[in-house]
Amino acid sequence: MAREATLAAPVARPLLSRRARELLTGYAYLLPVAVALGGTVVVPIVKAMQMSLYNHVLIKPQEYRFIGLANYVRLLRDEVFWLSLWNSFVWVFGSVSLQFAGGFAAALLLHQGFRGRAVFRTLTLLPWIIPGVVVALIWEFLYQPNYGALNDVLARLGLMTEKVAWLSNPQLAMPAVIATNVWRGVPFFAIMLLAGLQAIPEELYEAARVDGAGVLDRFRHLTLPMLRPIIVVATATRIIWTFNYADLIFVMTSGGPANATQITSTYTLMQAYSNLDFGYAATLSVVLLLIMLAFTVLYLKLTRGVEPVA
Amino acid sequence: MNDRLRCSRRQVLKSMLAAGALTAAEYAWWDEPLVSPRRAWGATPVRFQFSVPEPKRNALVESLVQRFNQSQKDFEARVEFVPQAQARQKLITSITAGSPPDVAQVWDNWVGEFEGMSALEDLTPRVKDWSGYKDVIPLAWETVTVKGKILSFPWVVTNDGVYWRTDRTREYGVKAPRDDWTFDEFLAYTKAMTKPDRNQYGFGMRGQGTWAVLYATEFMYANGAQVLKDGKVAINSPQAAEALDWYLDLFRKHKVCPPSVPTDGWRGIVEGFGRGVTNAYIHNSGSAEEQKDFVKPENFATVPLPIGPAKKRVSFYFSETLTAFKGGKNREGAWKFMSWAMEPEPHYMYSKGLGLLPARKTVAERPEFTKDPALAGFVKSFPFSIVSPYLAYAGWGGKLDSEGVPLFQQALVGKLTSREFLDKFAEVLTKNMS
Repeated sequence: MAREATLAAPVARPLLSRRARELLTGYAYLLPVAVALGGTVVVPIVKAMQMSLYNHVLIKPQEYRFIGLANYVRLLRDEVFWLSLWNSFVWVFGSVSLQFAGGFAAALLLHQGFRGRAVFRTLTLLPWIIPGVVVALIWEFLYQPNYGALNDVLARLGLMTEKVAWLSNPQLAMPAVIATNVWRGVPFFAIMLLAGLQAIPEELYEAARVDGAGVLDRFRHLTLPMLRPIIVVATATRIIWTFNYADLIFVMTSGGPANATQITSTYTLMQAYSNLDFGYAATLSVVLLLIMLAFTVLYLKLTRGVEPVA
Repeated sequence: MNDRLRCSRRQVLKSMLAAGALTAAEYAWWDEPLVSPRRAWGATPVRFQFSVPEPKRNALVESLVQRFNQSQKDFEARVEFVPQAQARQKLITSITAGSPPDVAQVWDNWVGEFEGMSALEDLTPRVKDWSGYKDVIPLAWETVTVKGKILSFPWVVTNDGVYWRTDRTREYGVKAPRDDWTFDEFLAYTKAMTKPDRNQYGFGMRGQGTWAVLYATEFMYANGAQVLKDGKVAINSPQAAEALDWYLDLFRKHKVCPPSVPTDGWRGIVEGFGRGVTNAYIHNSGSAEEQKDFVKPENFATVPLPIGPAKKRVSFYFSETLTAFKGGKNREGAWKFMSWAMEPEPHYMYSKGLGLLPARKTVAERPEFTKDPALAGFVKSFPFSIVSPYLAYAGWGGKLDSEGVPLFQQALVGKLTSREFLDKFAEVLTKNMS
């Protein structure tokens, strides 16, 4: 009896190879994110770059025209821009370094076991919860030289004989707004670093103690390296935020007196919403974007990114 | 008697209460605008933008709009409140986007800007045919006339004067300011009224916002200076520098001003006086009603600005206007609303409610304005009031604030001399003569 052979029916060859299909599926999953990011980040940036090449002053629509790099040339010659850039560095460095120091100290303290720790942890968060504009109004009132609480307390303690105009004196205005920003930003670092501290295994500290490491050694060789990724990310984020943060200064001093607290973000805001010079404001935004990009790359390079130290 | 028709005492009381409430609502529309809104079926909407610096204005304008809607059946005004700080920007962006309101409350120093954008309707022919045209103070028309075209209705007018504390002046035995006082008397008064041990200062100088520069300019004019001379910027003249030095020395040298001056804007000077920190300040009549609440009507009065060494003085004249836009969807409705708001009764209610001076002569002559000590200084300043010279060029509007004020603050804190400030300021003005 002849045996019948069973032949497999040939399968039609797919249009795309398996690898190509996998790639396409992967990209399809990415598409919504790409569209969302493109629409909300890339398009506005490109639009700002385009606007920066035009004379675009809303109150002078008849003068709207392409002017090439004229806005950039104007920026190079703009004394207030250079002053505001310098003020921005003072503002960012002053705010972030003190916020970091205060936040680290608070995190180390809150990491210890003591009664009422949960209450203190909640209280530490308070300044961060309050909206920036409200913080600015509260501190503006505290600093008020004529009827503010700060002068009153200092006078009652005998530490002051003449009233100090905290926000009206060009020498004191920047330190005063930085102090407010420090008060607001300490909880951010405290919470971030506290989360990092809690993630460090206790066994490591025990081993270090057995090896005879003191408090400072444990902090230097164990705590700091283990927290490094968090410190890098939190500091970089905070620097970028602070650089772009205009609310506090805008409400407290509007960049004054005499541009003493004018930072690049308030200056950009003023160009856009007071002068309605959208072309120049876009130029400032593009330059600030480039500065921040350069800073981020440099910072991550200097701090060797966010990889934990081996 | 049928039991169903019998009313209990409680029911009678309830009915009386309801009837009373309805009657009260009928009469109290100025205070309670939303009690009986008119149903304007088929009426075409009129968009009215109003900037709100304080809740009192909000209620007053709601009442006005309600009243307008009740007065006719063709149009229904709908008010859109915007924060005062953003009103100008919102108008400009809405004009650029092609959807401005039909009518808006606009300060006269913005009118030139809007005209530069070709956004305003030329009201000249209609205004000249309007029944109240001749009753409006000619100077008020001047504030809204650009290149010979009347572009707005001057709703209320303001000029500057000096607020001073009558009660404290008596208490300290200081000679009260006279209507024709001089720079020297002004200085002597502010010095005598400065009591640092009591946290009191003689003069609340303004250091922030456009008017910081404007008040200083009024003192420069009193010394014979001018912003423009023969079509050229002349604000950096020796007379201007001399007067500015004198003015800034009130803060820098004589210390008759509080230390907060460099950041004191409108709220700063008004609250400084209201809280009793300063005993005098310069402002328009717009804060008179507020001060009546703060320091009580019997404790303050107003006088004109002092006469300068050149035997001159000026008070800059501004108006708060009602302006219609070319791009508005209901231009006829806008006209109806504006002309109605200028009728004597609504005009009186708006002006009186806010302590501002009406633009119509017959309304301004009412005793509520002429006999009020809080307004006397402004009324007496009319003879020497002039339209602000900074209205000459639309391009100066935003620049005064963004460039003029930071320069002025530098002079205030001693980073620039008066002369240096004026030279730089003149440069800014010259660059923006458009």
